[in-house]
Amino acid sequence: MTRHVMIVGCGRLGATAANALLDRGDRVTILDMDAENFRRLRPRVRLSMYVGDGTSHEVLRRTGIDSVSAFIAATGRDTTNALAAQSARTTFGIEHVVCRINDPTRSEMYERLGLTTVNPNQLLIELVLDAMEQ
Amino acid sequence: MYVIVVGAGKIGFYLTRELLAASHEVALIERDAYVSATAAEEFGSILITSDGTEPTVLGDAGAERCDILISTTGQDATNLTACQVAKYSFNVSKTMAVVTDPDHVPLFRALGVDVTISTTELILSHVEEELTGGPFVHVLPLRGASSGIVSMRVPSGSPVVGQPVSRIKLPQGTLLTAVIHKNGELKPAVHDPELAVDDAIVAITPPEKEDELWQALTGEARR
Repeated sequence: MTRHVMIVGCGRLGATAANALLDRGDRVTILDMDAENFRRLRPRVRLSMYVGDGTSHEVLRRTGIDSVSAFIAATGRDTTNALAAQSARTTFGIEHVVCRINDPTRSEMYERLGLTTVNPNQLLIELVLDAMEQ
Repeated sequence: MYVIVVGAGKIGFYLTRELLAASHEVALIERDAYVSATAAEEFGSILITSDGTEPTVLGDAGAERCDILISTTGQDATNLTACQVAKYSFNVSKTMAVVTDPDHVPLFRALGVDVTISTTELILSHVEEELTGGPFVHVLPLRGASSGIVSMRVPSGSPVVGQPVSRIKLPQGTLLTAVIHKNGELKPAVHDPELAVDDAIVAITPPEKEDELWQALTGEARR
């Protein structure tokens, strides 16, 4: 089944996630404040790109948040991601919400509040530690 | 009381000054080194140059024993995070946030911010007051925003002039609490004072009943 996923932030993480989802046949709507960041994406049929603030409810509404089933907050700023992700979950009732949080002390709190967080730094550290074991 | 203020911009700066003048203990946290240097000239050692959304920073600032955290930056995302970290990592009992985008107000309340201060709504209510010629002022939104305290001046030509307050046909769910006469004298509504032009009424009303309240006091539909 194809999903429609909204991604806020078209940095390396957001763009890579978008490409992977599109490869799997999903529809993707991606938002970034800077149009320059869309260079990371190839134009594709099921891809919509918008320049806009993903923490603004008006922007989210206008770019179609009411029709998405999953939401990824992937900018480089924890505070922006937390506001966007919690807007998606609480204001718009999106079931699957993933939030990038770089600060491990904060991700623990958000997990307690029921938000699914990913921490790229933490993942990297674990990979590095694993590699050293070998 | 011990108050942590996040953001030393215009609002944070003057708020800190007032809190100190009222003999409260204050810690002021500002991330930007330049803004911080200016504030440091005024406040000295209570200023912390760091990121007030980070748990380690709030911990070092003594968030555990803090009574109120007030986040005053121009970034809604920053203010939300500072309040959530204070509330859910340090059990701060009262958190307040300045909110720039009015759409965020109900969300912030749902996410654990006890008091939201919407600068846009505040200014708008004053603009409305000036533009309509009339006299409707939102004094204070009450918790959950299901009702608010409003004040309104009785305009000339109003059908309630010369009437006791008990004769005003109030919208359902609206409570008229007091009348402030033109000379400043305060009368509780239970004493059923008679209204004159330029008296002010103070009422608690749900936002959706404001138009009806307006109509009851002016005799005209609200524009």
